[in-house]
Amino acid sequence: MSRKELRQKAKTIAKEYEYLPYMIERYLALWGEEETLQFIEACEQPIKTSIRLNTLRIEPEKVIASLQKKKVDLEKIPWLTHGYYADFEGRSTPGAFLEHMLGYYYVQGVPSMTTVEVLDPQPDETVLDLAAAPGGKTTHIAQQMQNTGKVLAIEMDRQRLASLESNILRCGVTNALILRGDAKKVEKLGFEPDRILLDVPCSGEGLIPLDPTRKTSKSMADIRFCATREDELLDAAVNVLAPGGTIVYSTCSIAPEENEYIVDDILKRHPEMKVVPIPLDFGTPGYSEPFGVSLDESLKLSKRFLPHLHGSEGFFICKMIKEESA
Amino acid sequence: MKPELLDPIEWESIIESIDREFGQGITKKLLGKLTPMALVDRNWRNIYLIPTSWMNMLFEEPPKGFDYHLIGKQLGVMTKDRFRLSLQILPDLAQMTSKILTVSKRGAESFTYGRSILKESVVYLDFNLLRNQRVLVMDTDFHCLGIASLALDANRVGRLKPDDLVGKNLVDIGWFIRRLG
Repeated sequence: MSRKELRQKAKTIAKEYEYLPYMIERYLALWGEEETLQFIEACEQPIKTSIRLNTLRIEPEKVIASLQKKKVDLEKIPWLTHGYYADFEGRSTPGAFLEHMLGYYYVQGVPSMTTVEVLDPQPDETVLDLAAAPGGKTTHIAQQMQNTGKVLAIEMDRQRLASLESNILRCGVTNALILRGDAKKVEKLGFEPDRILLDVPCSGEGLIPLDPTRKTSKSMADIRFCATREDELLDAAVNVLAPGGTIVYSTCSIAPEENEYIVDDILKRHPEMKVVPIPLDFGTPGYSEPFGVSLDESLKLSKRFLPHLHGSEGFFICKMIKEESA
Repeated sequence: MKPELLDPIEWESIIESIDREFGQGITKKLLGKLTPMALVDRNWRNIYLIPTSWMNMLFEEPPKGFDYHLIGKQLGVMTKDRFRLSLQILPDLAQMTSKILTVSKRGAESFTYGRSILKESVVYLDFNLLRNQRVLVMDTDFHCLGIASLALDANRVGRLKPDDLVGKNLVDIGWFIRRLG
């Protein structure tokens, strides 16, 4: 398809499905017409509600029994230790259940839960969670660490701090410290964390199934703006990571400019950083040649969630280690 | 907020406040091997329990541009006039105290919506508890739902009408949801 034909096709599809044309143009270049249409169709479907059982508060069996007694249908998510699809059958919002108020579960998207399982934090480690609010991943990290060691949760936004604090208290997390500040200046903190989770603020292009306004709310300039910030944050995180440490970089964007391009740049600037395989069976490999641009081959080890392939919001997860010799 | 060690007088007053309401020696049990520390805001002091290994880190001045907002396990908040327990500590406290008011399923639901406790919801209340006593409010499955203050001596509850007030809601776990709108 010539450039002109691609533009014309994108314009037609964008008009029909109420997207901005630049988005469809990029999808066509990335996936071709058939997959683009599958993506668009999938974005019209609701995403299944999912929850994480919080073992800091209760044994999983007890909360499962309690929810099943209330006719909540639970289905285990195969690659997640405590993740379940939960059908509340419209009786009430998942947040209004007593078990939720008691911190027995956290309503959390499947990709978000997966991110922490990929990070695999261990008891007694020091873990940094950058851009931490509203706290789904912070509380999950604490759960994996069984409330030992320490989780430093950094958040800049004053209003979002309230939700972060509330969720930490509700979920019975006692090994967290919340610091308000700019994650880009994390070097000033003087920590060398064993693991870092950087679920970076992004353009949210993967969230179209949850928020249809995203079809028209962000321009290419917004994506470029986010990409610049993402690059700065990942660079700052890499600089403080302890040698031998692990970092997981994730976004809820499907744009390669915010994902593979960012990691590729980091790999060039930081030869001590290596992308490593993710030993969990989910998603599809990241791209090493998006839009015909050749990137580091190891980016195929990163993973993507896509609405049309996995029935979830779009998401990118990349696991890297900092080599000891550095 | 600035981390500070508690001076002995302040810590004694917190111990006195918790032990008076929930039983002698309770605060010491809640403390365990942790150390009390405060994060100081303008009008109140948030009291946290932290591992001693964190102390050196917290004594250092936080780097410019960073500010502590939560450290470890929240015990409660010291305001000008009194100490208020945190919701986070209540599940631990529930294992240690007998100052408990058990409510029916309907009463539990109503309580988590911020309402107070009426006679018709009371399932169990120790006969010896007195007016203004703080009690943990539990449902019949022993879930801790919050704290109430008794509106009358427990031995008078039997004389009340079903819709008379027994316990005034001081704090409940529905706050986690209401707080975020």
